[in-house]
Amino acid sequence: MIPELGQGALVVGIVLAVYGAIAAAAGAQTGRPALIESAQRAALAVFALVTACFLLLAYAFLTFDFSVRYVAHQTTLSTPFYYRVTAVWGALEGSILLWAWMLALYTLIVVLRHRGERDLYPWALSVMLGIIAFFLLVMTLPAPPFERLTPVPADGRGLNPLLEDTGMITHPVALYLGFTGFTVPFAFAMAALVTGRVGDAWITTTRRWTIVAWYFLSLGLLIGGWWSYHVLGWGGYWAWDPVENAAFMPWLTGTALLHSAMIQERRRMLKLWNISLVILTFGLTIFGTFLTRSGVIASVHAFSQGSIGAFFLAFLGLVLLVAFGGLAWRWDRLTAQGELDSILSRESAFLLNNVFLVAAAFTVFFGTVFPLLSEAIRGVKVSVGAPFFNQVNVPLFLSLIFLMGVGPLIAWRRASIDNLKRNFLGPVAIGLVAAAVLHLVGVRSTLAVLTLALALFAAATIALDVLRGTRARLRTGAGLARAVTGLLLRHNRRYGGFVIHLGILLVALGVTGSQAWSVQTEATLKRGQAVEVAGYRFRFEGLSATQESTHARVVGTFAVSRGGGAPIVMRPSKKFYRQEQAPIAGVDYRMGLTEDLYLVLGDFARDGSAATVKVLVNRLVSWIWIGGLVLTLGALLAIVPDDRAA
Amino acid sequence: MRRAGLLALALAVLVGGRSVEARAPEAPRLATGVAAAATGPANAAPTVDEETVRRVAAQLRCVVCQNLSVLDSPSEMAAQMRAIIRERLAAGEAPEQVVQYFVAKYGEWILLSPREHGFNLLVWAAPVVSVLVGLAVVAVLLRRWTRPRARPATPIDPALRERIRRELDSLP
Repeated sequence: MIPELGQGALVVGIVLAVYGAIAAAAGAQTGRPALIESAQRAALAVFALVTACFLLLAYAFLTFDFSVRYVAHQTTLSTPFYYRVTAVWGALEGSILLWAWMLALYTLIVVLRHRGERDLYPWALSVMLGIIAFFLLVMTLPAPPFERLTPVPADGRGLNPLLEDTGMITHPVALYLGFTGFTVPFAFAMAALVTGRVGDAWITTTRRWTIVAWYFLSLGLLIGGWWSYHVLGWGGYWAWDPVENAAFMPWLTGTALLHSAMIQERRRMLKLWNISLVILTFGLTIFGTFLTRSGVIASVHAFSQGSIGAFFLAFLGLVLLVAFGGLAWRWDRLTAQGELDSILSRESAFLLNNVFLVAAAFTVFFGTVFPLLSEAIRGVKVSVGAPFFNQVNVPLFLSLIFLMGVGPLIAWRRASIDNLKRNFLGPVAIGLVAAAVLHLVGVRSTLAVLTLALALFAAATIALDVLRGTRARLRTGAGLARAVTGLLLRHNRRYGGFVIHLGILLVALGVTGSQAWSVQTEATLKRGQAVEVAGYRFRFEGLSATQESTHARVVGTFAVSRGGGAPIVMRPSKKFYRQEQAPIAGVDYRMGLTEDLYLVLGDFARDGSAATVKVLVNRLVSWIWIGGLVLTLGALLAIVPDDRAA
Repeated sequence: MRRAGLLALALAVLVGGRSVEARAPEAPRLATGVAAAATGPANAAPTVDEETVRRVAAQLRCVVCQNLSVLDSPSEMAAQMRAIIRERLAAGEAPEQVVQYFVAKYGEWILLSPREHGFNLLVWAAPVVSVLVGLAVVAVLLRRWTRPRARPATPIDPALRERIRRELDSLP
């Protein structure tokens, strides 16, 4: 009964979404508010229906309703409560449902915030409902979450064990909030094209939406890195996996958009470019879904095959065709003559920032699809993996860090020599001194020296600006704390951006440190034997075995000591799941500000007398997660209502 | 020793109960590998530089994983591939020869970074070309946009204007 209810709700949802899209468009075209209000009610109903679907599916999971194929494939009777909840979006069908629900949620918020507006909003509502209708359609045809399974099995097949992690709530939710969030600026941009009001209204309306989407996407990427680090057991956080790339590409173009939108706000330029960027970013989120769901590219995240790839590809084609068609239609209004006073200006710095970000996005895109291209054209399978992406992206990212230092302090319009001297002499000196000091203390990696020097240069420009602003406020008689908070809140967008920059610089520090200074080794130890790595002694104390609710676990015990200090005990393990061929690593790690200890249990003798262990001492990795926290603070600061606008 | 016996029994029940050997074809080899290693580290060739092993392993794709290198992968297959790299280096092969051995066995696909020749040059050119095209477009636009046009000369010194802007910005 429950599955039929869910199925019914989906079908009614599609009808209402399509109706709402048409009604909103007709209302916008004819100027009849009744139609728009009707579309708003449809949007509300769609949200209620998709929410109901979600709850019904969750109910099916909680009651072990194995007559539902999706439930039977994702749980067993032994799956604990928590993972039965997260299993709702643990595979293809449910993840599309989560996506559709978030779209409906964003649409609801758009309705609540903008209802009553007459210019862009009705068209934007129409576009959003149309996109929701597509996702609901996917759930009725190629990926039905409520499909029945006959005969009903006595027990289910069980969740992919890698998904048994608390990250299963945060990672997909944050990532999808990011992906779906870019639908809002896209919808308003489309509304701008339809109405011909291609001025700045859509940019200012969606500025905060873009930051929200960008923030969640960043968070989703970082939590994904954290998950990879502590669950996958290879000691890394980013593998340039096709699906990681798929999430990274819209992040790159979205970042470009955040910057170039500022030029449009201030200088009324780049209209064509900004609309192109928002189309590209939205298109890349759909492309990412296509990559993940279609199975065209082998990846840790790939869920399934079937006709769903064709659905997404067709939708992507349609979106790009319509959007760029609209762009061509409004070409005349979009290509206003730009005007710049000088090449030495913040505008130029932002344009360069866009060049490098989009070049990085293209590089990642081309590298990701290149294996398909090679197989199609040459008939030869090739891989494009981490060594390639690291090598080609490093120069681009270093250029971006440099621009991150230049952009915020170089003057708009025209930078005088005086302006340049005043703002950059100090930071450049700090960067140079840092490079010299790093070299002197024995850092031999040119790349590490260069990255850290550039990062310090960029950080110094931010510090300089905050220092000046604070000093100016102190002169007015405010106390230090009030001066700083006043500064940050008064110009919250500017300083929110700075704090986000600091967060990114910290992530860069963590990436550089872990790439340049991490050490690892692998050793087979008899009980009582020890291996030394980076000043630590890891002694193998023995093996034990336990049976847990979903798997059997073999645990190795290691005493870890440094110098004469008391040893700590670390317990890496291997987990054996019935539904999995190969065992899964259960890493044990101790995190620190300068280094993490990270143990992965390898093969072992069945009598427990010997075991192979991979020992990693990863340097500075924690700064990646700290950078994520700082980035969160910055995004919050940038999003809070701007008191100048009031 | 009794404890070890109990542990072996427990492992056999938990792991062997579902038959390690049947599940993973490489398991028997691994067991002997551990046994061999446990008889004494003297058997392992001490001349192999682990750094070289790591460098080779980082270039190769673990054949049973998704997008992880032989160096990084925690899988048993990757451990075996690392052992093969070590053996071949110990037998006196150059790192390139070891890489070539894997390419001959699995095809170009085993390389995580496509070789820089022929069709593969396309993927290597992508970043360079995209940056150059981007820079060219920006250069053209900047030239066009900064072209001086007829307008009344601005009487305010840009430095002064900048100072005014800054001071306005820093007002409470």
